[in-house]
Amino acid sequence: MKKAILLSLFVLIFVVVLHIMPGETTLPLRFDHYYTLDQVHEALKLLNETYPDLTTLDIAGKSEEGRFIYVMTLNNPKTGRALDKPGIWVDGNIHGNEIQGGEICLYTMDYLLGNYGKNKEITELVDKKCFYFCPVVNPDGRYHFFADPNNPSSNRGLRIPVDDDRDGLYDEDFPDDLDGDGNITRMRKRDLFGQYKTHPDDPRLLVRVKPGEKGEWTILGAEGIDNDGDGRVNEDAEGYVDSNRNWGFDWAPEYVQGGAGQYPFSGVGLKALGEWVMQRTNICMVWSFHNTGGMNLRGPSRKGLGEYPQQDIAVYDYLGAQSERIIPGYRYLVSWKDLYTTYGDSCEFLTQMMGAYGYVGEVFLVETETFRTQKERQPGSRPEGEDDIRAMMMGRSTELERLRFSDNLTQGDLYKPWTAYKHPTYGDVEIGGWVKMSSRISAPFMLIDLVHRNAMAVLFTAKQTPEVSLDVTEVKEVGKGLYRVRTRLSNSKAIPTMSYLAQKVKLYPQDMLKVSGIKAKVVAGGVLTNAYRDMVTYKKHRPELQFLVVPGFGKVEHQFLVEGKGEMIVSYESRHAGRLTQTIQLK
Amino acid sequence: MTFIMRFFVISVLLFTVSAGIMAAELTFDRYHTPAAINAALQDFARANPVTTKLHTLARSAGGRDVLMLEIGPEVKNVKKVNPAVLAVANMEGTVPLSSEAALYLIKLILEKPDVHKVLTWYVLPCGNPDAAIGYFQKPLMMDPRNTTPFNDDRDDQTDEDDEDDLDGNGIITTMRVKDPEGRWMPIPGEARLMKRADWAKGEKGLYKLYTEGLDNDADGEYNEDGPGGVNIGITFPHLFKFFTETGGRWSGSEEESFNLIKFSSDHREIGMAFVFGASNFCLNPPRGGRRGEADLTKLKIPERFASFMGADPNQTYSMEEVIEMVRPIVPPGMEVDESMVAGFLGLGAVVNPLTDDLKFYKELSDKYKEFLKDNKIDIERLDPAPDKDGSFELWAYYHLGLPSFAMDFWTLPKVKEEKKEGEEITPEKLEKMTNEEFIALGEEKIEAFLKSSGAPANFKAEMVIDALKSGKMDTKKMAEMMKKMPQPKSEEGADPRDKALLAFSDKELGGKGFLEWTPYQHPTLGEVEIGGEVPFVHNTPPAEKIEGLLKGQVPWVFEISQKMARIKVGKTEVKPMGSSVYQVKVWVENTGYLPYPTAMAKRNKRIQPVVVTLEGDGFKIVDGKKRSLIQSVAGNQAASVTWIVFAEKPTKLTVKVHTEMAWSDAASIALGGSR
Repeated sequence: MKKAILLSLFVLIFVVVLHIMPGETTLPLRFDHYYTLDQVHEALKLLNETYPDLTTLDIAGKSEEGRFIYVMTLNNPKTGRALDKPGIWVDGNIHGNEIQGGEICLYTMDYLLGNYGKNKEITELVDKKCFYFCPVVNPDGRYHFFADPNNPSSNRGLRIPVDDDRDGLYDEDFPDDLDGDGNITRMRKRDLFGQYKTHPDDPRLLVRVKPGEKGEWTILGAEGIDNDGDGRVNEDAEGYVDSNRNWGFDWAPEYVQGGAGQYPFSGVGLKALGEWVMQRTNICMVWSFHNTGGMNLRGPSRKGLGEYPQQDIAVYDYLGAQSERIIPGYRYLVSWKDLYTTYGDSCEFLTQMMGAYGYVGEVFLVETETFRTQKERQPGSRPEGEDDIRAMMMGRSTELERLRFSDNLTQGDLYKPWTAYKHPTYGDVEIGGWVKMSSRISAPFMLIDLVHRNAMAVLFTAKQTPEVSLDVTEVKEVGKGLYRVRTRLSNSKAIPTMSYLAQKVKLYPQDMLKVSGIKAKVVAGGVLTNAYRDMVTYKKHRPELQFLVVPGFGKVEHQFLVEGKGEMIVSYESRHAGRLTQTIQLK
Repeated sequence: MTFIMRFFVISVLLFTVSAGIMAAELTFDRYHTPAAINAALQDFARANPVTTKLHTLARSAGGRDVLMLEIGPEVKNVKKVNPAVLAVANMEGTVPLSSEAALYLIKLILEKPDVHKVLTWYVLPCGNPDAAIGYFQKPLMMDPRNTTPFNDDRDDQTDEDDEDDLDGNGIITTMRVKDPEGRWMPIPGEARLMKRADWAKGEKGLYKLYTEGLDNDADGEYNEDGPGGVNIGITFPHLFKFFTETGGRWSGSEEESFNLIKFSSDHREIGMAFVFGASNFCLNPPRGGRRGEADLTKLKIPERFASFMGADPNQTYSMEEVIEMVRPIVPPGMEVDESMVAGFLGLGAVVNPLTDDLKFYKELSDKYKEFLKDNKIDIERLDPAPDKDGSFELWAYYHLGLPSFAMDFWTLPKVKEEKKEGEEITPEKLEKMTNEEFIALGEEKIEAFLKSSGAPANFKAEMVIDALKSGKMDTKKMAEMMKKMPQPKSEEGADPRDKALLAFSDKELGGKGFLEWTPYQHPTLGEVEIGGEVPFVHNTPPAEKIEGLLKGQVPWVFEISQKMARIKVGKTEVKPMGSSVYQVKVWVENTGYLPYPTAMAKRNKRIQPVVVTLEGDGFKIVDGKKRSLIQSVAGNQAASVTWIVFAEKPTKLTVKVHTEMAWSDAASIALGGSR
């Protein structure tokens, strides 16, 4: 008996260990699988513990269901305070089902930290900049996406109950995993009057019947039953408040923008995160990762907001073109014009409220799941069994091609074959179709390429955050005890020290250049518009304090007339470009 | 002060406050500070423990509690059975009278058990306490901002340059400075008032105007960065404006507004909103005429829809026409309404009150005017302030879909245009009049005519009449004299509001509402004059007027709240259809005047349809839904639901109608059996 107990205990321990083993997180992080929410948190803690000098892990807020929203700050305190360096914000997984952003954040952190001190470019980047990573903006979403039965597009929003069918009951009729496989796929029923027939090349697929043709199937929609007995199936699933329509900037109510929620920042986690971010005044570059489509989108998110200033667009175009090169197939586009209008989204919030330059990365191009010969890859060629409507919806790859891809490259993992099921309402049906981890999420073997390329696009833009140097170009006595001091502030990078949008709306004070000395007084000062002709736009009041913006790849020069002698301090302070000081001697 | 002394003073203060304003003793002969309002609310709550509950809604940026008193039949329920009325006041913090009105409303509610028997009241007397304190502080100035720091001038310091009481009179008024570049000039007829010089009329500006103060930060600007902050009154999500000086970073960026937004949204039992402040939807319906994202009378159908709708993409259509086009192409049973069309055409937010809602606003406005007349509140007064973008009253209507009634309780009396009659007589007219005709005008009119034509003050009508009668003077001579006289000084160009204020100050306040321009040696501006309008005079009547004004106006709240939609089970009908099968028909009535819900709520779909359920045992629904939804029932109208049910044996069923904000009801229906 005792032996039996011992044995079972041993077995139990063994099982537990075995269970833990495959999930155990080690550095460098692996990207041959997707991370559950717990694994993301584990990876964050491991990175933080491994690199305590360079990282700070904060809980920025708590979700509706009480899960932590973590933000990792990556800053080298030996080279300066976080807020004194240009800040780069990277987030992901604001939509519960759009998980890859989490992996991109983890990969980028791991890459920066792992290469710090080894690779010169990375070491320099880490020393000069401050990164903020929020891998999972919507932790309830990520948790439930992995834990619950879902399809690739379900479980996006916040866990705020919404009465979608307005019958006074909340979230009472959700899809049901009838076949218990962890996926919400589709239901079909044999029906001679149905609108679909079996695909001639693969019996798993359906095609629409042409006029006059006999039908074979009716598609009954997502797997589920009529839970509330109202005659409709799956009409009131969890939520839906869209975590990317509930932010405080340019929010519009539900009837204008579906998923808006009752009021801006009704999401408790989003509100907390929004307020946390607002404290990081150094953020000047923003990346928000979503799926899908292979796009890097800039704002404005709505036409009515008006186009961004031309100087900002020039910056976006420069960075956007480079991102297209770094991630082949991705397109740099304008959100409202090329995709659709949104109100209250996070990237526009960060762009407008922080004065940052922001991109939404819609990662994953379904057409990379190709199954073609060299010849079929030629432009204009049509792969086997192309169907026009599908092709339009899914880019250039057809459903048939993706099925072949699933069969041959994932051994069928992406598609659940149709199986018979006895449905309480519909009777004999079949359940099957694309599984949760398909369609918007690449097969795991392709993940490393996706996270690496997107991380490199982030790093390129991070390198283009402002880097300003302050030079005193002249200290010259022009009269008895009267000196002319000339300064030059130059920015060697593409992003200006304050966006033109932020300047237009006077979002916050401009950069400041101060000249001060104990025994000296600035009697006049202003922008030196022409150094050869000595043309200066003088500032009437408080000439010792100048407000300015250093443009991307550009400079600003000032001239001061100073009366007195001795030491003077020239100091520069910028939200996005840090602080600089120079000491000069009047003699 | 020693510690003990301080302790003593504080305890005396505390004692005075708690003993001074017991609920029953609350008097309306003075204005209450935010602290006194909160103390009064606490007293009300203590004195009425069964019917009230005090909610601490928020803490302002300045550390003041924003309190809301709940009065009603179910203060212990988190989820209410009965509907509620929400009344908020002084959201801009600049209308002290509105807070008094809210306190007065609480007093009336508590005195009238009937009004809170099946209705909850949420009353928030002071929505912006940081700003509201301004009325009680020295120096006196009006500022709607809370104390959240804000760097108004985007320089290196925050809140560093506020107004200064230079003349030490405890009031911030205006400084006028003679300046060659000045754009302001005194009004010829009333030198105390200023107007903008109009070059087109040959006028020359003499003065620059500043608010009273110093250039504290030496940047060449005066009072450009005072303390605070955000005007809570314009921070609500409808038509919220970004990047303004007082609106805050986003709608709800301040706790005062966010928590009120959250409360009002979450409490779905709220069926009506009142907003006491400066605007008035009871007198004038909410204004229209805003340019929205789309003109609903000229809708364009995008090409991608036009083909299957049979529409011409180059034409425009009215909303009704589009609904007619869509109706045949949607699946059977799908309702086509404005909301659906607006959704798929992407028409954006509604910005003007919907026609059906204006009907009740207009009707109630007519009734309100009669009500005021009956209550002798009929002095002609200046118009209430127009509603502001981002205000609570607009948000309550446009987003919450509620009948929203803004109310103000006082503005300056209008100045009577005395001269009108006199002005009618021109020298040309006079010439053509006979002496008798002129005398026939009567002493009063002649007096007015003399005054308006600039005759010396001692020149009385009586004298003129005598002179005419005696033949010493005739109308021709008078006309000639008039033509030679200097043109009368006119008050033309004066802002009617300024004139009203000055008149009110002179007549009612002994001149204390408008200070004489007094010379002052300013450290940077040199010779200036300080004077002008005293803050709050334009919207805050003397304390002795408070009670009368509130007594005559606040009870209108009860008149309107009695008109709330009220959903009931009306007639029921059972028709046997053969063996154990019955047709059950139930009429759902709205016995209130107001529609359930407003047209706006139908559009934004925030308010749930009426849910009608059949409950009980021993029957089965053969046709019809267990939960039937009725989208709307107009005021005093009814809508019906029909089921076919099967009941083998005689049985009783219960029909229940449920709403969140218009009460619920139930009725019993017998199926079969002998009656």
